[in-house]
Amino acid sequence: MESRGGISPLDEARGELLREASIEAEAAGREKAQEESGPARSLLVFFLGAEGFAVDLAHVRKVLRPDRIARVSGAAPEVLGIMNCQGEVLCVLDLRRILSSGKEAAPPAATEGKFIVVLRHGGKEAGFLVDTVRDVAELPASSVHPVLDSIEPSRARLFEGTVACGGQFVGLLSPSACLNP
Amino acid sequence: MTTGSVDLFVVDDGGALRGYDCRDVVRVEEVAGEPGGYLVRLGRLGSPREVACREVHGSVALSAGEIRPVPEALRERITGEKPWAVGLAGRELYLLY
Repeated sequence: MESRGGISPLDEARGELLREASIEAEAAGREKAQEESGPARSLLVFFLGAEGFAVDLAHVRKVLRPDRIARVSGAAPEVLGIMNCQGEVLCVLDLRRILSSGKEAAPPAATEGKFIVVLRHGGKEAGFLVDTVRDVAELPASSVHPVLDSIEPSRARLFEGTVACGGQFVGLLSPSACLNP
Repeated sequence: MTTGSVDLFVVDDGGALRGYDCRDVVRVEEVAGEPGGYLVRLGRLGSPREVACREVHGSVALSAGEIRPVPEALRERITGEKPWAVGLAGRELYLLY
């Protein structure tokens, strides 16, 4: 049986459960944060479609609007091109394609109205195209949960863990894994 | 202050603007039967090679201050011939080979 929009009642119920679980986990995280004096993590939260992601703010150099991106022949499919970023050359990568582990043969992403999150780790830097940037969340380090089992291994390597944020679970990306092919 | 400069021979390979040292260009040939197709023969300075391109843009002079290293994240994602640098001139970006 399917409801409008092709989502089954079971999926709806699961979605609702996950929403509730994330709200509870978030509230627990806040309580924990108040109790703990341990280090907090500042995370930048952004979206690709309806799916939320986070990355440690310590690795975020800047967030930009895409400018003219020059294509590069012979580059991997996730490379959208290079951009002049205040006099420096920035390699812009399609995060959606990286997360799909090359399984999607989608055309290069349109950049209009989107954002580029510039990450730096281990001396390496690149910009990642994302749909929307939401906010910065302050969470205790202990509120990072393991990567969900349901995520396939090739994709799981891109994550440090899962955090509850703004009423939903979002994947905490590993900057190192995202920057290295 | 930098004083060095390079004269680039700029071509459009259909995806990007490529720049080659003008002094390395041996000959440019129009490919018969393919409008807009050119073959650039190189090798005056080094080993002979050919590059197919869609359009020839002519020459551009770049000063040393307009030349940047290729980002590592890009370099390791390019198969085949890798550019040695990127040129920034106004709004244009050139991959230097």
